[in-house]
Amino acid sequence: MTYPATHHEDHFRAGHALGLDHLKVGMWLFLGSEVMFFGGLLAAFLHYKVNNPTPEAGLLDVGLVGVNTFVLLTSSFTVVSGLAGIQRGDPAAMNLYLLATIGLGVAFLGGQVYEFVSLFRHGITLSSSVFGSSFFTLTGFHGLHVLVGILWAASTFLRGMRGSYTRENHIGVELFGLYWHFVDIVWIVLFTIIYLI
Amino acid sequence: MQTPPRTMSRRTLGYGAVFLLLAVITGIELALNSLNLADAVVDPLFLVLSLGKATLVAAFFMHLRQDNRFYTVIFVLPVLLLVVFALLTIVI
Repeated sequence: MTYPATHHEDHFRAGHALGLDHLKVGMWLFLGSEVMFFGGLLAAFLHYKVNNPTPEAGLLDVGLVGVNTFVLLTSSFTVVSGLAGIQRGDPAAMNLYLLATIGLGVAFLGGQVYEFVSLFRHGITLSSSVFGSSFFTLTGFHGLHVLVGILWAASTFLRGMRGSYTRENHIGVELFGLYWHFVDIVWIVLFTIIYLI
Repeated sequence: MQTPPRTMSRRTLGYGAVFLLLAVITGIELALNSLNLADAVVDPLFLVLSLGKATLVAAFFMHLRQDNRFYTVIFVLPVLLLVVFALLTIVI
């Protein structure tokens, strides 16, 4: 089917008339697909947890993971503070908060690696049991998302240092923030389902 | 679109308050977990606290509270589907 040459432009204008930013719509659609991705993994973990309870779950260190949860929540605060910084025309504050976010993200991953190594020492691996498979797949994919977030934060930081973002144009920071907060929300849910319940 | 400085400082204070609330809820979760109460008592509490934390992050840090409602619809629809699927895995 052939559309008139102005078809796409008309839709573009229609989106703005509704108060929608096309990049943000795309980001939210991506996050919606991510909900389904983690939903599948979470459903599998829940299925095994409910129907096939295992004593291995008792080896999980809730205290350590609680600290890690606090670290990730703090990183969400630094991201939103960085965004607030550039929105009031203070790129230096944004860069500082982005740097803090990178540090907190690395600290979270460090805590996760420590937890994984502890479990390995107890003989729990990806292939040792149903618990190991579902646990490492779920938390591993979340860790991978944090790693991608750290790289994205580093890229945003470098662009910020080059002066690419201004008070008027900071959609790149906002999109990174949406991704990072989503990863935080996923962890909030995983912390409850895996470690608390 | 530029945000007036006074609105910005109020918003920054709001972010701090939300962060404190998130930290307090996490502390409550860890305290509840250490009490070793019956699962039937604490599990619903954990779910409610978790939902509260996720809602705070989405509403305030991701700005869904003030952004176009269309973004909320895009995000909440898959979440509702996820809840249905999760319940199905328990029931079936």
